[in-house]
Amino acid sequence: MSATFLSLQGVSKRFLGLLAVDEVSFDVAAGELLSVIGPNGAGKTTLFNLLTGQLSPSAGRVVFNGVDINGQPPQARARIGFGRTFQMSQTLTSLSVLENAMIGSFLHHRHISAAADHAYASLELVGLQHRANITAGELTLSERRRLEVARALALDPKVVLLDEVMAGLNQTEVQGMVDLVRTLNGGGLTFLVIEHNLKVVRQFSHRVVVLDRGAKLAEGSAEEVLANPAVIEAYIGKSKQ
Amino acid sequence: MPRIRTFRQELPPLALTAVLLAALVGLYSGDNFTLNILATTFLFAGLATAWNILGGFGGQFSLCHGVFFAEGAYLTANMVLGAGLSPWWSLAPAAGLAAATAVLISWPAFRLRGPFFAIATMTFSEVVLVLANYFESITGGPQGMRVPFRPGWQNMIFTGRIAYAWLMLGFLLLALIVSLVLLRSRLGYYLQAVRDNEAAAEASGIDVLRTKLMAFAISAAVTGVGGSLFVMYVRIVDPPTLLTLSDVGVRFALIALIGGVGTGYGPLFGALLVVPLEAWLRAELGAYAPGSNLVVLGAVLVLAALFFKRGLVGAFQSLPLPARWTGRLART
Repeated sequence: MSATFLSLQGVSKRFLGLLAVDEVSFDVAAGELLSVIGPNGAGKTTLFNLLTGQLSPSAGRVVFNGVDINGQPPQARARIGFGRTFQMSQTLTSLSVLENAMIGSFLHHRHISAAADHAYASLELVGLQHRANITAGELTLSERRRLEVARALALDPKVVLLDEVMAGLNQTEVQGMVDLVRTLNGGGLTFLVIEHNLKVVRQFSHRVVVLDRGAKLAEGSAEEVLANPAVIEAYIGKSKQ
Repeated sequence: MPRIRTFRQELPPLALTAVLLAALVGLYSGDNFTLNILATTFLFAGLATAWNILGGFGGQFSLCHGVFFAEGAYLTANMVLGAGLSPWWSLAPAAGLAAATAVLISWPAFRLRGPFFAIATMTFSEVVLVLANYFESITGGPQGMRVPFRPGWQNMIFTGRIAYAWLMLGFLLLALIVSLVLLRSRLGYYLQAVRDNEAAAEASGIDVLRTKLMAFAISAAVTGVGGSLFVMYVRIVDPPTLLTLSDVGVRFALIALIGGVGTGYGPLFGALLVVPLEAWLRAELGAYAPGSNLVVLGAVLVLAALFFKRGLVGAFQSLPLPARWTGRLART
């Protein structure tokens, strides 16, 4: 029997008095496109940080391909196949756009020219190849988000975690990003996506996990979850009757 | 398509730099005063270039590079005076000792970030200054150590000042080659990624501590070699000469900052401005009003801090020149 691709088992994270993530469990299958939604402060980003090792859980386990990876730091998780973007974009502002992507591609390509070629290919995926030689600090916000996706893709990851990459993008750009994620997912790449744009969530998710105040509120297809009264209540409050 | 500079592309400007600096030595070959200034300039240019590997590319503001400098100097003096060996044999051990020290202090120091790292390294430098005064058997204590004047190639002591200018030019070129090879390597990119954003670096599979540590060791090794050459050049050293922060540790950083921190050639430009200016002011003004040379130098540094925030190289880049020209000096 093959182990579950990625599995969260009763994962909690406590910051002093605040329980940011409260015993969350769910599995992610290889090749899946899973969205994590929830109101502001629900613990979505904290959950991502627990998955990629920026934070370590107070309780519970993160299991990847049958291996407990709780103790592994972020750089080790990048090596075993985790790629991610950050909610607040973390561009390497003094490097060029191409060099930013190269920072990712160096993981599997030691030589400069091989890393540059591979990085350029990931810039082409996100449509930033025409900006390759400018300094990344000069990019617009939406370009920075796309650059982060390119850097994550340059790692040749097995699973990509996108933390609100659509935020601040215009409609055309959002559609471009949706198409990109769908294409890559079609090629077998697993995605975990934090997204506030529910139209997007409906459009591409195989499955949706809803978090509210740290705990898992619901899990299922986008249609099921978004019709769930508890989810609607968490998002827009109780209706007066 | 991708346009990334490799070390091979750095070779023509590096060769041009070597030729220009050599021409400068040739031009002043009869003038011992100027040759001394050139030798000191090249030495400090090399030391600032070494500092820039960690401080500039890696953004880790070390103020303990004086320790590595002193280690090189004391190791060489001891090998020459104690064991009667040729100083040439001491260069590799000096590099090794400095690198090992850097690795040792990395473990506590890199737990600290930004200014706290700078303060920790500064403290380390001050502690070593006290220890250097105390352990007379190794350092000669406050009296210092004196290397006797026995000219000869194998003794690295020369009657003509021009030989020292060539020696220091050789050291500068070594430092530039190490720095540029690193800048155009994976480690160089990783260092810059760590400087720009540690979280993004980690998420890209970079071991941040290991990256800083390797840069620190390489930077320290080159600095140690500089210390070895320095002791053979001045032939008398005491703890304040080697470890006073304002004259050594901070000076490396200052030269790099004035020239353009984090750029390949910035530290060289900084040294070309600061070292001769200091020497000239000391000669011209020091005699009339002692200390006035420092006032003028201080004013120059303040002006540089105000108007050349990105150093001389940064100021040059912002001139309205064709990118083809300014690009030569740029990091990318």
